[in-house]
Amino acid sequence: MRIVVLLSAGRHRVSGRPSLPGVEAQAIALAAALADAGEAGTGGERPPSAMSFSGLHAGPGDEGIADAFGHGLEAIDRLEIAEGADPLPALARHLKEHPAELILAGRRAEGGEDTGLLPYALAEALGLPILSDVTAIAAADEPGALRFDQALPKGAKRRVTLRLPAIVTVHPLAPAPAPFVFARARRGVVRTLSGLPAPVAASPFAEKPHRARPKLMRSAAAGSGAADEAGDKLHVHPDPQEAARLILDHIERIGIRRYS
Amino acid sequence: MNRPRRDPRTERAAHAVPAAGRPRFDLASDVPLTRRRRRDPRGEFARALVPGAARLRLDRGQTGPSDFVMAYAVGAEAELPQLRVVETPAFLVFAVLDAGEGRLSRFDRQALGAARLLADAGPGGGAVVAIVSQAVEGLGSAGADRVVPALGRSGDAADDHPPADDPANVARRLAALIAEHEPRHVLFAETPVGGDLARRLAAGLGEAILTDVEYLTARTASRASRGGRREQAGAPPRLMAIGEDRVADYAGIPCEARQIAGPAEAPSSGESPVLSVEIIPGDPATMSLAETDFVVSAGNGVTDFGAFRELAAALKATPGASRVVCDAGLMPREAQVGASGTVLTADCYLALGIAGAPQHLQGIAGCEHVIAVNTDLHAAMVERAGLAIVQDAQLVMPALLKLLKERAP
Ligand SMILES: Cc1cc2nc3c(=O)[nH]c(=O)nc-3n(C[C@H](O)[C@H](O)[C@H](O)COP(=O)(O)OP(=O)(O)OC[C@H]3O[C@@H](n4cnc5c(N)ncnc54)[C@H](O)[C@@H]3O)c2cc1C
Ligand SMILES: Nc1ncnc2c1ncn2[C@@H]1O[C@H](COP(=O)(O)O)[C@@H](O)[C@H]1O
Repeated sequence: MRIVVLLSAGRHRVSGRPSLPGVEAQAIALAAALADAGEAGTGGERPPSAMSFSGLHAGPGDEGIADAFGHGLEAIDRLEIAEGADPLPALARHLKEHPAELILAGRRAEGGEDTGLLPYALAEALGLPILSDVTAIAAADEPGALRFDQALPKGAKRRVTLRLPAIVTVHPLAPAPAPFVFARARRGVVRTLSGLPAPVAASPFAEKPHRARPKLMRSAAAGSGAADEAGDKLHVHPDPQEAARLILDHIERIGIRRYS
Repeated sequence: MNRPRRDPRTERAAHAVPAAGRPRFDLASDVPLTRRRRRDPRGEFARALVPGAARLRLDRGQTGPSDFVMAYAVGAEAELPQLRVVETPAFLVFAVLDAGEGRLSRFDRQALGAARLLADAGPGGGAVVAIVSQAVEGLGSAGADRVVPALGRSGDAADDHPPADDPANVARRLAALIAEHEPRHVLFAETPVGGDLARRLAAGLGEAILTDVEYLTARTASRASRGGRREQAGAPPRLMAIGEDRVADYAGIPCEARQIAGPAEAPSSGESPVLSVEIIPGDPATMSLAETDFVVSAGNGVTDFGAFRELAAALKATPGASRVVCDAGLMPREAQVGASGTVLTADCYLALGIAGAPQHLQGIAGCEHVIAVNTDLHAAMVERAGLAIVQDAQLVMPALLKLLKERAP
């Protein structure tokens, strides 16, 4: 099985220096765990279809990308494209010529446009299914499929069994990346392949320095549910049974929990 | 109480007569008034006036009209419309809502507020169409003119394949709906579900999208890029995913929320790669305070902590505590709610024997529903609560446990 981890040229949030985004390091850890499990699953013998996983990047340089070696990646291919050009055509052509069963990407890049759109556009271009916000990957009972855990709000999970090939984006709640090994990062060599010339992506939006905009204050203001509850909100010395009934009815009415 | 405000620039533009050479204006023609609202100091004064007092008394602390104001302003009330109806909208604005468990979240209301903002700003006035996957209450008062039900369901087949809530399927139906109605804007809330759907749709339609919008007016929308160093801004595009707590929700006259037909049957793409889907709910007992949706909290008024823990488990809530309790070692420090503990994002907060010190109230400022049990009628928590029970917590806890056992099947 071939696994490809998509790597983007990130910038560190604080220092602004080239670095590998955290979720992509986590994606590498997920791919490594999957490859290990695949080899172990065949009882030590060489599996018929050997697991392989590598990184893929489309961009003008490998600054920051090479950090991925330090997190345990063994091979990285870089598709040479011009500065500012759209990486999608180059990535799509490469992945069509060298198909992968599983393509892992970050949820959002850090330091580019950060829209998180690239995996979706790639899925559309390759005609593959896409699954977002994955935190764990495990083998499934069906052959040629894997079981993914998707992070949902409030600690919930969605467990999806998906037939491969597929594109998957990784959520920051996935297991922590392997510790960074400087010597490995130094030793690794990025293989450069020719990309596909694409026009410099013209965005319909103007770009300017960021201006921080305050968020709205969270309060139980008028219009939200709390202010609508008219009357009947204060009960002085009710019977405890009555008080319990009032509380449970209130919780069920506002739809937080159901107890029956 | 609000009168429309004149906008001299648009009036001037409306009067302009196309002519070569010098600009010419025909001032006699009818001018449409703009729809911007203006403050009415007299009306505000009248609303704050406390009637029946010997001296002039103003109560400025009110957030909405209270009963006596309604009595006072009977005449005015008669002419105010009770329901806002947009019969023939000039255009449509879609708001795609998560609305899990059949109720609107804060964030859903904000998405509707953003849609309302764009609908009211456009020429001719548009209508907000709420797109939900199941029946949801309170859409009208949150600002929806129309409702398209059941986006996620393709019928009542229980074993339909692909699963009805497969996002690829939902995106396909949504695309069909957009092709049918051609809305001017389609807004999403930047949640895991809404953000995923927005990106699928943008990739499918090959259209520009602004995700995680930080600032939205009728003329501009912007989002942070390059790791928060730069921002992308422009006229609001058709597709947008709104960030949380960026746009205020709608607080006007309820809209009608009329049901309109659901999407026409979208073409299915044959065999689905999704083999099975299972939702594993989060366990409130092990969830951190910051991410849970329901907290039961104990203060200095609680003495029986065994019963308290049992109650939290039975209510399926995450246990919390005030600082006094944590300082005394009765609850772990991670359980502390407040300014020096955890600031909650929960929807509901049940406070047992907590006075409601400012440092504690800061921690629950974002909770929409607060329930207080306290022996002191004048405690700050009782004032903050949407349901306040003035009773001994040691008596209410066992009663709650007993009732929960009775109700459990
Ligand atoms: C810098 C600073 C930071 C702080 N940060 C925090 C913080 O993060 N979180 C926090 O919680 N506090 C914080 N505090 C402490 C805060 O000021 C209060 O002291 C504390 O919140 C009070 O906790 P309490 O309401 O549980 O106790 P009390 O103030 O003692 O109130 C107990 C309440 O229980 C009621 N009661 C008594 N017996 C019963 C009964 N049998 N049944 C029902 N009700 C009963 C009483 O009427 C009273 O209202 C901070 C203080 C400072 C100075
Ligand atoms: N130039 C690129 N080459 C390879 N992968 C990329 C590139 N840009 C983005 N990606 C992948 O797409 C994810 C989301 O990127 P974005 O859409 O830019 O937020 C990133 O986390 C990467 O995994």
